[in-house]
Amino acid sequence: MRAERIQLEAPLAPDFQPVVRLIIGGIAERVDFGFEEIDDLQLAVERLLAEAGRAGTVSMTFDVGEGRVRTRVGPLSERSIAVALQEDSPPGELTLRRILQTVVDSFGVEEAADGRIVVRLEKLRGPG
Amino acid sequence: MKAASRRPVGGEGGREEDRELLRRYHEHGDTDARQQLIERHLPLVRSLARRYAGRGEALEDIEQVGAIGLIKAIDRFELARDVSLATYATPNVVGEIKRHFRDKGWAIRVPRALQELNASMSGAIERLTVRMSRSPSIAEIADELKTTPEQVLEALEVGSAYTTVSLSGAPTGDDTVDPLETIGAEDEGFQRSEDRAALAPALRRLPAREREILRMRFEEGLPQTQIAQRVGLSQMHVSRLIRKSLAEMREQLS
Repeated sequence: MRAERIQLEAPLAPDFQPVVRLIIGGIAERVDFGFEEIDDLQLAVERLLAEAGRAGTVSMTFDVGEGRVRTRVGPLSERSIAVALQEDSPPGELTLRRILQTVVDSFGVEEAADGRIVVRLEKLRGPG
Repeated sequence: MKAASRRPVGGEGGREEDRELLRRYHEHGDTDARQQLIERHLPLVRSLARRYAGRGEALEDIEQVGAIGLIKAIDRFELARDVSLATYATPNVVGEIKRHFRDKGWAIRVPRALQELNASMSGAIERLTVRMSRSPSIAEIADELKTTPEQVLEALEVGSAYTTVSLSGAPTGDDTVDPLETIGAEDEGFQRSEDRAALAPALRRLPAREREILRMRFEEGLPQTQIAQRVGLSQMHVSRLIRKSLAEMREQLS
């Protein structure tokens, strides 16, 4: 399929979480993700946004290509997310890092302007 | 109405009067004391109910629902608690109001066809997973249910939204305090601290089944389909329990 980009700016308020989930579902459906893969990507973004606070808006970019969705979330001013994603998870603890390690194929943090950060997530379609 | 019930409930004096009334009710079964407590705290209920006005429900009805939460708080209050009745009652009142909106909201807002589609989704996903030995795509679920992928996504989200509301808006058990609804917490932004992404302490507060599901998913790395088989639930249910548990843990940290 042709690579496409979808950009979204959404309120961080919890009321809008279902809207974001619905959009992610629609995007992932385009690349034929399975139910669980869609759920994984939705969960990854949902947990990330939960750490980003409830006030203001957040920008998200979804790059879709053959069998994959690359998501960029931010810039975010919540730098503790970067710390949480870079430190190894202590045994027995369920950290944001461990959650993302489980539900997406790769993730990373980029420095953005003004000391803010952008989180990258990549989810690939499994063998089907 | 006795003098105590007309006095303001705020301040140390009001708190002491509350405790005395609570003691009379809980230790001696004095129902008159209970009635006084209800009347003394009805202004709190009215104040909280006003926050939910203009959402399609008469304020009077919301106050009635909130009063049920107040009564439950009074009945369950433990004298050993070092907390005022107003503080203890607030999340109970708000939780009751939110539960009311949640229950009614489901019936009003979601079209019946979507509710039915959501209800049939779980079975379709299970059948397809067994048939294909993998998680079905949205298009495949739509095909199975003879509908469109958009309808499937919408129905899935309807189910998710319902669960999400029940998380933040209505405690699952009657005696659960909604962590979002402590006084002064609702309208404030998130605190900023680096330990907020670490969920360990909150993990221990989850029910054993939810803890086990999270362990299987995030420690063993099992897919939802396998977890569903192990715990005897549908994949959709497992998915919702994971989301709900993580959200609950997050809220406890905030």
